[in-house]
Amino acid sequence: MIDYSLKKLVQLVITTFGVVTLVFFTLRLIPGDAASAMAGDTLSGDALEALREQMGLNEPLFRQYLDYLSSLARFDLGETITTRIPISELLLKAVPITMTIAVSTIVLTVLIAIPLGTLAAFMAHKGRKTLDNFLTGTAMILDLMPSFWTALVFLLLFSLTLGWFPASGMVSWDDPWALMQRIALPVLVLSVTQVATMARITRTSVLEILSEDYVRTARSMGWSELRVLFRHALKNAALPIVTVIGLSFGNLLNGTVIVEFIFTVPGVGNLLITGINSRDYQMVQTLIVFYALLFVTINFATDLVYRSLDPRVKF
Amino acid sequence: MTIQQSIDTPLLDVRDMTTEFRTEAGTVAAVNGVSFQIGQGERVAVVGESGSGKSAMAMSLLKLLALPGEVTGGQVLLDGRDLAKLSERQLNKVRGRLVGTIFQDPMSSLDPVMRVSEQMIAPIRRHLGMSAAQARAEAVLWLDKVGIPDPEGRIDAYPFEMSGGMRQRVMIAMALSCRPNLVVADEPTTALDVTIQAQIVEVLKTLTAESGAAMLFITHDLGLVARFAHKVAVMYAGRIVEFGPVSEIFRDARHPYSQSLLRTIPSKTALEGGRLPQIPGLPPDMKHAPDGCAFRARCAAAEDRCASERPALTSRGPDHAAACWRPAGLGEAEKQDPGVHQPRRNDQGPGSRVVVEIHNLEKQFVTPSLFSRTPRQLVRAINGVSLRVHQRETLGIVGESGCGKSTLARILLGIDTPTRGEIFIDGTPQMIFQDPFSSFNPKMRVSTIIAEPLIVKDWGDAAARAERVRWLISKVGLGPEYLERYPSELSGGQRQRVAVARALALEPSVVVADEPTSALDVSVRAQIINLLRDLQDELGISFVFISHDLLTVRYMSDRIAVMYLGEVVEYGPADLVFEHPVHPYTRALIDAVPVPDPAVEANRSAVPISGELPSPLDIPAGCAFATRCPMATDRCRTEKPQLRKHSRLREAACHYAD
Amino acid sequence: MFQKTLYARPQHRSFRAALAGLMRNPLVTNKKSRLGLIILLPILALAAIAPILPIQAPLETNLFASLEKPSIFHPFGTDKMGRDIFSRTLAGIKVSLIVGLSVAAIALGMGLLLGTLAGFFGGLIDRVVMTVVDIFLAFPSLLLAIGLVAILGTGLIPVILAISLADVPRFIRLQRSLVLSLRTRAFIDAARTVQASQFWMVTRHIVPNTLAPMLVAASIAAANAILIEASLSFLGLGIMPPEPSLGNVIRDGQLYLEHAWWISTLPGVVILLIAVSLHFLSDGVRELLDPRSRK
Repeated sequence: MIDYSLKKLVQLVITTFGVVTLVFFTLRLIPGDAASAMAGDTLSGDALEALREQMGLNEPLFRQYLDYLSSLARFDLGETITTRIPISELLLKAVPITMTIAVSTIVLTVLIAIPLGTLAAFMAHKGRKTLDNFLTGTAMILDLMPSFWTALVFLLLFSLTLGWFPASGMVSWDDPWALMQRIALPVLVLSVTQVATMARITRTSVLEILSEDYVRTARSMGWSELRVLFRHALKNAALPIVTVIGLSFGNLLNGTVIVEFIFTVPGVGNLLITGINSRDYQMVQTLIVFYALLFVTINFATDLVYRSLDPRVKF
Repeated sequence: MTIQQSIDTPLLDVRDMTTEFRTEAGTVAAVNGVSFQIGQGERVAVVGESGSGKSAMAMSLLKLLALPGEVTGGQVLLDGRDLAKLSERQLNKVRGRLVGTIFQDPMSSLDPVMRVSEQMIAPIRRHLGMSAAQARAEAVLWLDKVGIPDPEGRIDAYPFEMSGGMRQRVMIAMALSCRPNLVVADEPTTALDVTIQAQIVEVLKTLTAESGAAMLFITHDLGLVARFAHKVAVMYAGRIVEFGPVSEIFRDARHPYSQSLLRTIPSKTALEGGRLPQIPGLPPDMKHAPDGCAFRARCAAAEDRCASERPALTSRGPDHAAACWRPAGLGEAEKQDPGVHQPRRNDQGPGSRVVVEIHNLEKQFVTPSLFSRTPRQLVRAINGVSLRVHQRETLGIVGESGCGKSTLARILLGIDTPTRGEIFIDGTPQMIFQDPFSSFNPKMRVSTIIAEPLIVKDWGDAAARAERVRWLISKVGLGPEYLERYPSELSGGQRQRVAVARALALEPSVVVADEPTSALDVSVRAQIINLLRDLQDELGISFVFISHDLLTVRYMSDRIAVMYLGEVVEYGPADLVFEHPVHPYTRALIDAVPVPDPAVEANRSAVPISGELPSPLDIPAGCAFATRCPMATDRCRTEKPQLRKHSRLREAACHYAD
Repeated sequence: MFQKTLYARPQHRSFRAALAGLMRNPLVTNKKSRLGLIILLPILALAAIAPILPIQAPLETNLFASLEKPSIFHPFGTDKMGRDIFSRTLAGIKVSLIVGLSVAAIALGMGLLLGTLAGFFGGLIDRVVMTVVDIFLAFPSLLLAIGLVAILGTGLIPVILAISLADVPRFIRLQRSLVLSLRTRAFIDAARTVQASQFWMVTRHIVPNTLAPMLVAASIAAANAILIEASLSFLGLGIMPPEPSLGNVIRDGQLYLEHAWWISTLPGVVILLIAVSLHFLSDGVRELLDPRSRK
């Protein structure tokens, strides 16, 4: 287990390094350079040159790269280009909001998807096709609904028509109830896709396990189907499900960008869109790296959880 | 079966049981009106080829079938109570408690993420109402009885920490732990090596006899039947075609199928140089079950009546019944069908030219471990093997899994490279692989599969190749229409014929056949073996025939090499090695193989060789076999015996081989 | 069975016989792929004949018909500038399909090439390819596309490139794992025993056996690409107005959600239908190729 964690950790470090390097050099591929792209038509001549100097673009490329690495190591993420606010400060404010949304979604998803997927699998196993077909069909459609469209439909239904949730407004930590109402719709929208994915995976895994030989063994010892389902099938299905939670975290992050944009939630995703629209490449670079590292770390963690759940892995 | 006027009611009385699989392609009656009885403490074997419905029948008794299989009719009377009518709830009180079940594959039949203790103790508590501590003690007791060393400690192990043989012992302990009256065992030893199989069979036999439990034993191995059963039911196409006491069936079978089946085994009688008797054709496709007798298309004695009316099981004596219109089945005339006892046409015997010479071959695999603290480990797959094969000779290589026989084949063919040692081959070698289902590219037609060696070697032009491919396929007894097919459209036996045709394409001097028949059913097996021998006679090729099936190897081979843990422990003429084994391992191996003859089996010493194969990571310092050898001395444990001449024709690696 | 029908050579046949042959095509006889085709084909047909339909051109404005409800003249209604949403949707479908097909083709091609190289030859090539793949897989797909579009700029070609770059690593990984599992199959050993060349092994044994699962993956990738393109355009980072795409039509409607619900919702239904049909199609193909997966 320790060997394995170490190996994975080394991989994590290599990937992180690769991500940082890739993003840095890709941004330097912008036609012209970042400064002129950022400035657009607004700056010219000396002003543009000053901006280049400020961004360090006149240094040799490799020097810029080293500078970037050393500032990253010091957690110096630079400043926004127009307002001169340290990016780390913005990030510190935005991350808790995005993470609250993400974690709430995961919790909600697990609570709904696993029972639903198990039920579908059990029905399929018993040859009761109708309910299973209904559940899998619904899951497929929900899974494929574009999340920005779902968001708009929910906004139209629950906010504009029924008035259950506020469509906009302050996001503040001072009033937890207001905050909950404010992020309820984003979480619901994200959960639609997540529930669909995870219910499908749960169904497939449980169904597969229900036809395993050891399930038949348990049945041959006189255990009821329900006990076999809970004691054997779910326990074994937990392994693939954990992996999927990790992998679908990527889709979840994709989704947060969209719901934050639509519901004007001041999370990391909104920062990113703002950064792109104001051509603040420093910020875009930092945020993309942040997302990638978060995703990689989550996968690293789920991998370790998986390994610790599986007794076949030697400690 | 005929109504039996018996005073004591049988333990299990199955009447006209039918099981159907409803699929999109149609309904298949896998079990089609089966009736039989098992008395108290009786061991009944059910034999049949794959698809005969024997497993479906066993699983139907307790309704353990997975969908779309469903029991659709009949009665299953256990002590007079009809299990077919019980609710799931009531059945769950029978399952495990009154009837224990043992499954085929020990590697997958235990829950991988649960300790053995969890899986064993809960049923005991539930069915026998014991406390947790009592149940644990009971479980330990059973583990001890089935021969698990250190049961106190091993009970908390996970299944993956045990070998296949140990897991099957756990399975048996579990099935017996709630003291059932009947044990259903579905091919419980098929996945195991022959020495382990012998141990498991012995355990089953002893423990059921001890507890007085009756047993229903599903198998395709007639040898096991002879060793194990009191009575035997022969199944064909979903029906029991013959039922009777073991000794009677083996001596005087009455159904043509049982009669043919018994003769296809390469046993002693077939060793007099004749071809193996074979059953022509294939079992019927159960989706389109034929009218009348299902066996008639393959039966030498079929009459007009067989096509229209299906014979019922009728009495052939006390406790003996067969389903055939002819009282004696094939009868004497058909038993002697021409070609069967014909001697091999052109038996010149092995030539003197050496075709393959292997000298001091070694193959080691290194287990990779990049970040592991444990050092890289060395697996010694082959540990100094020297062998030679003469022209027109068949060298049989036998041994259990892990003995290195397949690695040897791969090295001979150049798929793997040896770590040390030399190989000399005069001419080209070719290979016939074990699994006819994975040895062909599913996207290639048969014509391309056979032609591939010719194409990559630039043999002739396209027309010449096509001509040769047609010649080859006719050589293996298939029509040219098969050339346009894909492998998925062929049966197992047909695939192996194609494999033979392909192997012959480049006129090889030696053909290495790695378990070429072990994936095939008995009746088809004989066809392939005869084909190989005919081709050898005609084309003068040498064979290296690798198998764990000792009877087949003996039938096929001129000389035999017995391998254990990467070494040859005995080498010599096939008959000599089998009749008078010199090495203790050879003796143990031959003893372990059940012979399809109840008389022989009855006189056998009941002590199978103990222990399991040591890990090839950790080969003993002295004789590799010393850990299991009943004759091992201190010398064996420290000093490694070399393979040396034992007599004029034989070599053995044992200090005490005299 | 599947292969047999695929290889059957069409002879001189009447139209009726051709139709009957078509009805026996496995894609038609399989329930799931048939359902996929039933949804997809009419959508494709409508998008193809859009220019000759008696509807307003996608870019044509009509300020007298601003924000009109769906009607017989404007099946999906109109937007603020009086543009016909149905016509814009059909034009958007064309963009979606171009993106979907291009991405699937690029991902399939690159995946087959690099995945085979990495899986079959192993060693250094494998290490290098897989390290790069791992780095790319560290980015959630939409975010990678967003980042790339930020650099490459907006428009059809940058969008296709950005989405492809996010998909290619997945295809390389899939192809590599398929190759690795094929390499242990006995028929590869069988080819090795006759010293077949590596070129022969790859072209005759490996690639033909990976094509089917890769095609299944490609049809799913096409559906995903359509969703991602729509998301990018919705965020204002994909196809830019006035050029219609399903995503930016929906974006246009966002402001009028309360008063003109049809602008945003109806094109979304179309995206969903396309994605669902592609999934049914790929499910069907998977079943045809592997009868065991039918559950």
